[in-house]
Amino acid sequence: MTENLIIKEDYSGEDTKITIEGEVDIYTSSHLKSKLYDIVDTRKTDIKIDCSKLDYIDSTGLGIFAGVLKRVKQYGKNIYLIGLKSSIRKLFTITGLDRVFIIEE
Amino acid sequence: MEEFIDSIELLLPFKAEYVSVARLTVSAIAHRMGFDIETIEDIKVALSEVCTKLVKIGSKTASKYRIIFNIYKDVLNIVFDCEDKSLMCIFNDEMDELAVQIINTFMDTAELCTHENNYILSMSKSIGEKVDNATET
Repeated sequence: MTENLIIKEDYSGEDTKITIEGEVDIYTSSHLKSKLYDIVDTRKTDIKIDCSKLDYIDSTGLGIFAGVLKRVKQYGKNIYLIGLKSSIRKLFTITGLDRVFIIEE
Repeated sequence: MEEFIDSIELLLPFKAEYVSVARLTVSAIAHRMGFDIETIEDIKVALSEVCTKLVKIGSKTASKYRIIFNIYKDVLNIVFDCEDKSLMCIFNDEMDELAVQIINTFMDTAELCTHENNYILSMSKSIGEKVDNATET
């Protein structure tokens, strides 16, 4: 169903590391949303999301990230977005979400 | 007045799985016209926001919506149309704020709420007139 989006989880360290590959749009966003909320509620740790292989995201996906951040904050934790491509980083900048998320190279 | 070259039309069902088809199509057209990679990505995002909204709304009377790519010498004009003429001013929700912000930033002109010609909306991008507000800071 969601071959355009691959989500990998790594629980080997103290934090939770997630790698997102492919495209987040209206077709794949529900899969991402349920997966991230499930991980956040189960792990209750900081979440590090490797976005270096994320090729595309739209406002639906940005909204999901914002919602997941809100949930993570309820546990006193944070989300780190790592390796955003310039085209995606630009989306965070124009929407002001770069001031909400911790974005790392 | 820009020199008109061609017009390409895409008829898509109101289904989420075909939004990527619209992105691929506009990417190919913009590439052929000579837009740079960064601008092509911007156009893809803007177009996708409209498709996403249309799919979310859907239509009670029409099964498909039409995307018309009007190719001018240095301008790509994208028009969204549907037989269901009740689909007007589709970005009228508070939740649409992000999408509207993205469209207005990435396109040179965007008529999001026009009844002119009975289209749903129209937006254009010129080659070489990009003002990149996002990287100014």
